[in-house]
Amino acid sequence: MSTSAKRQLPLWEMALVVAILAAGAWSSTLSPYYLSVDQLFGSTRAFIIPGLLALGLAVVVSLGEIDISLASIIAVGTVALSKLSAAGVPFAVAAPIVVAIGALCGAFNGLLVAKWRLPSLAVTLGTMGAFRGLAFIAGSEVGYTDFDDVYLWLGSDYVFGGVVPVSLILFALAAAGVWFLMHRTGYGRRCFSIGLNPDAAWFAGVDVVGVKIRAYALAGALAGAAALVWVGQYGSARGDNADGSILFVVTAVVLGGMDINGGRGTLSGVVLALFLLGTIRNGLGLANVGGPTQTVVLGGLLVAGVLRPAAAAAIARLSRPAKTREARAQGE
Amino acid sequence: MPTVAAEPVIPAPILLLRRIGKSFGPVRALEDVSFDVRPGRVHGLVGENGAGKSTLVKIITGLEEADEGEVILAGRAVRFRTPIEARNHGIAAVYQDPKLFPHLSIAENIAMGAYPSGWFGTVDRRAMIDTAREHLARVGSDLDPKRTVAGLSVAEHQFVEIARALSSDVRVLILDEPTSALTPTEAERLFAVVRSLRDRGTAIILITHRLEEIEAMCDDVTVLRDRRHVATLPRAEVDRAKLVQLMVGRPLEALFARRERPTIGEDVLRVEHLSLDGVFDDVSFSVRAGEIVGMGGLVGAGRSEIAQTLFGITPPTAGRVVLKGVEVAPQSPKQMLARGLAYLPEDRDRDGLIMPETITHNITLPILDSLSHWTVVDRAGERRLAESASQTYRVLTPSVETIVSALSGGNRQKVAFAKWLATEPVALILDEPTHGIDIGSKAQVHAMVAQLADRGLAVLLISSDLPELLAMSDRILVIAEGALVAEFARDEATQESVMMAAARQRGGKR
Amino acid sequence: MSEAPSVAARPGSRNLVEVVLRLREAGVVVFLVVLGLAFGLATDRFLSVQNLTTVASSAAILAIAACAQAIVLITRNLDVSVGSMMGLVAYLTADWAATHPGITPVEVVAIPLMIGTVLGAINGLLVAYGRVPALIATLGTMSLYRGFTYIYAHGQEVTSSRLPPWMLSSVDARIGGLPILILVSIAIVAVVAWLLHAYPFGRRLYAVGSNGVAAWFFGLRAERVVFFAYVACGFLCGIAGLLYAARVGTVTVVLANGWEMSSLASAVIGGVSVSGGSGTVVGAALGAVVLATIDNGLVLLRVPEFWRMFIQGAAIVAAVAVDALIAEAIRRSTGGRRR
Repeated sequence: MSTSAKRQLPLWEMALVVAILAAGAWSSTLSPYYLSVDQLFGSTRAFIIPGLLALGLAVVVSLGEIDISLASIIAVGTVALSKLSAAGVPFAVAAPIVVAIGALCGAFNGLLVAKWRLPSLAVTLGTMGAFRGLAFIAGSEVGYTDFDDVYLWLGSDYVFGGVVPVSLILFALAAAGVWFLMHRTGYGRRCFSIGLNPDAAWFAGVDVVGVKIRAYALAGALAGAAALVWVGQYGSARGDNADGSILFVVTAVVLGGMDINGGRGTLSGVVLALFLLGTIRNGLGLANVGGPTQTVVLGGLLVAGVLRPAAAAAIARLSRPAKTREARAQGE
Repeated sequence: MPTVAAEPVIPAPILLLRRIGKSFGPVRALEDVSFDVRPGRVHGLVGENGAGKSTLVKIITGLEEADEGEVILAGRAVRFRTPIEARNHGIAAVYQDPKLFPHLSIAENIAMGAYPSGWFGTVDRRAMIDTAREHLARVGSDLDPKRTVAGLSVAEHQFVEIARALSSDVRVLILDEPTSALTPTEAERLFAVVRSLRDRGTAIILITHRLEEIEAMCDDVTVLRDRRHVATLPRAEVDRAKLVQLMVGRPLEALFARRERPTIGEDVLRVEHLSLDGVFDDVSFSVRAGEIVGMGGLVGAGRSEIAQTLFGITPPTAGRVVLKGVEVAPQSPKQMLARGLAYLPEDRDRDGLIMPETITHNITLPILDSLSHWTVVDRAGERRLAESASQTYRVLTPSVETIVSALSGGNRQKVAFAKWLATEPVALILDEPTHGIDIGSKAQVHAMVAQLADRGLAVLLISSDLPELLAMSDRILVIAEGALVAEFARDEATQESVMMAAARQRGGKR
Repeated sequence: MSEAPSVAARPGSRNLVEVVLRLREAGVVVFLVVLGLAFGLATDRFLSVQNLTTVASSAAILAIAACAQAIVLITRNLDVSVGSMMGLVAYLTADWAATHPGITPVEVVAIPLMIGTVLGAINGLLVAYGRVPALIATLGTMSLYRGFTYIYAHGQEVTSSRLPPWMLSSVDARIGGLPILILVSIAIVAVVAWLLHAYPFGRRLYAVGSNGVAAWFFGLRAERVVFFAYVACGFLCGIAGLLYAARVGTVTVVLANGWEMSSLASAVIGGVSVSGGSGTVVGAALGAVVLATIDNGLVLLRVPEFWRMFIQGAAIVAAVAVDALIAEAIRRSTGGRRR
């Protein structure tokens, strides 16, 4: 299992590409309009919001941590934006404020996880409720819909001859940025090293606490950006915005080949997984398959995604002696 | 002093190991080990770290399966699948770091796996507590069985573990370095228990690397070296020198080339009144440029803790650290590395290296910033650096892109050296640098350390390997129970004087 | 620095850990009393027999779900499919009862228990034998089970009029002035508490959660223990789902949505450690009562419902922080390393 680890991933990315093409081919048999440029670009809008969350979550997962409060940060962001809109703050000022609020929420998670060493799963499960509760408390019960058109621009407008959604460009920039961060900079290298062995990383002079807090803050900032897109797409802000979308996000990250225990994976895999899930969802929509079935498919893919390494390990075990059982017991 | 019972009858063996072999993937963990263990006798099992002792214990107790050979217990070949099965057949093991369940009571820890059952299959708590008390009494402990294990001292853990081993009808008791974290008094108490068990006919396998324990306790000795069986002899036929020779594979003198008189410069690392509450207290010393200062003491005396405090792992509660004339308050490894101090951790595989990563990524992790332009890591430069470093430190590998876990222990250690020295430190702390590596690599490591000191590095060498400590060091500090108890110049130090100082107890002559 | 022999060192840490571990439930009770008094002072409607019965009734089912969650938490795992399991069990049982008018009480009890057990076993297989991290595995089955409920239901709900009347009335009946629902819940919590306390299997749950490495060295089969913990969790969710269906009468596809959060909050507030090995189901049940009390008090004080979500979330974070402090004390006392 030693040296092959690195070479497995491109293989997985290839498999994702093939799966995307297959899902696209299947979709094109369902609707004659599927392969039109408008429809292809337009359909990407469906996964840009979870996509932004997935980019941030991928960074957190590379550390061996998790953040399931991200969808709730969207709600905090949309409600914050509604307040700023009501106060007449121009969008150019409001947008960075919302992103900063998202980053603050994320940094709060990071502080609890990294500085206080609380288990990230339980903490973000708690803040998932707490953030959404805050959004509800701060927002109004009926929601806010009086957004000025400028506020909707990011999530609803198109450029390049009215074909490419602005939000897609935002996503592409974010994806490229996070990819670059994780695979080309020292920060990304430190993230993966923490995910593989936080002790050794700390001994090697990595500021584990700082790296973790920054990762959570980044994920929160991306959730803040997703809130801007949300408002553009749906034109409303309420405490229950994006409730339940974390499943899609976690599925994309896991299916994209990020090791949920940290230390391994690529951002390109995550982006490909997003396209795959988006294509499948789009196709299911064209085939008139309802939301619940889509959820089941999503859940199934998630389980399949996490069973993949286990299955690979089982196959490896059959062909050659496994690593010691002790190592596995300690890994738990 | 213990007296070995009069010789005449040697009892028939209860446990026979025949040509045991085991591999983990491509790594050979054990090869062709055969010896007999007899009731009423203590069988010493010695060898350097990594010689294969632990693997052997795991095979006997059913934690690992042997690939070759057989274990014969009381005339029947056995192959246990779990330690519970082994315990039911009368084989139990006690490990150096206790393996208890901290949230449960002592009684439950002792009864686990063989609960006395009351009505409707429930656990009969009263019986459980009574039995636990009984077994604790047999090991001379009056701990309250109802107490939670969390909060017990290491010695108390050790006694609970032995009591647990006794709760099954133990015929073969394996003790894996049981005294490594005990004070001499505690160790003596433990050995009194072991002797009484032996006298009642239990076969004992004692793993230790304290040769005086072999002399005091054992009737037979088996030596493992480089995962192979070297010899099994009656204890009376071997003396210390012979034992060491068997363990390391060549006479003691040949091992270490003593360093020529070094040229020693200014103080590089000065430590004044350093304390960490409850761990070590008021430690002062200095290490000069070009000097190798050895630090000896028993395992658990606080040496690694002192080193880790200096390196910023756990900040001190009092005292000063001066590096190259500048005072620093150690807060984190990052800060100390930036100040020019590097620390090679004792547990290389856990703290020293990121095992599933490549050699390159391991070596460059602490210096990524200096290899980056505008935060972008220069990957070609990084590779060049890793290649020249692995050449300098003679890492045997097909490529610097190899995953570290695929290397041998010695080569891993060389990667760790390369990593810490890439930070260009002025002072280097080595914590058991030859722990668990083969003889060839060991000699290379020694040569490397000497060379580094000759180049003007200040080196603090922590080692439990006395001959190594004596040969390498220009000066030796001895730590006992968290305090600096003695300092020897290079020519005054002998194995005996260092051992004596190390075994000195607090509350004694301090 | 004293002359005392070192064997008896560090009496302080030992006592602290023991006291805290033993007194956590007592702490929850004290908190509950303080909370009750506070609400009682704030509004005179709180401390009426009728209102307290309402609190107890709403805590009753949550207490069972919290027990289910606690069993899994003790093994150092987690189940976020608790709500979905309850929902699926409730829907399938109600649907079966509605379409089979001659259904007997035995069937009404047996069907949900069987379904719950199977659902729990699926989780157990994934986590224990598939080695999938508990969160991911149960997040997946959470959506699978809930999605399956939707698909099966075709958007329909089972109204109370289609259920056998005795099924609905049985939970509202009273024995000695107390609703059966509450008595059943107390009985179930008591039985589970006793099973965990007195039976070897229960003790193994704690052992596996307390120190996985020690369990391995000892020879315990952790996989099997974890698997059965999930099975037990599913079984209890079956009971909880059935009681919920009987209590509300009209069974919709979103029944018990979000209960994974409430059950977890209850357990954690009740002193069950998310890092395994400590806590009791009695504590978890008490935690459920705390949550129900807060809910009720907020309603009486006319605090908007949204606060509930916030308080629940904040309570989880606070409880986890307390837990981490205790774990840190244990670590320090056993000489473990920090990082």
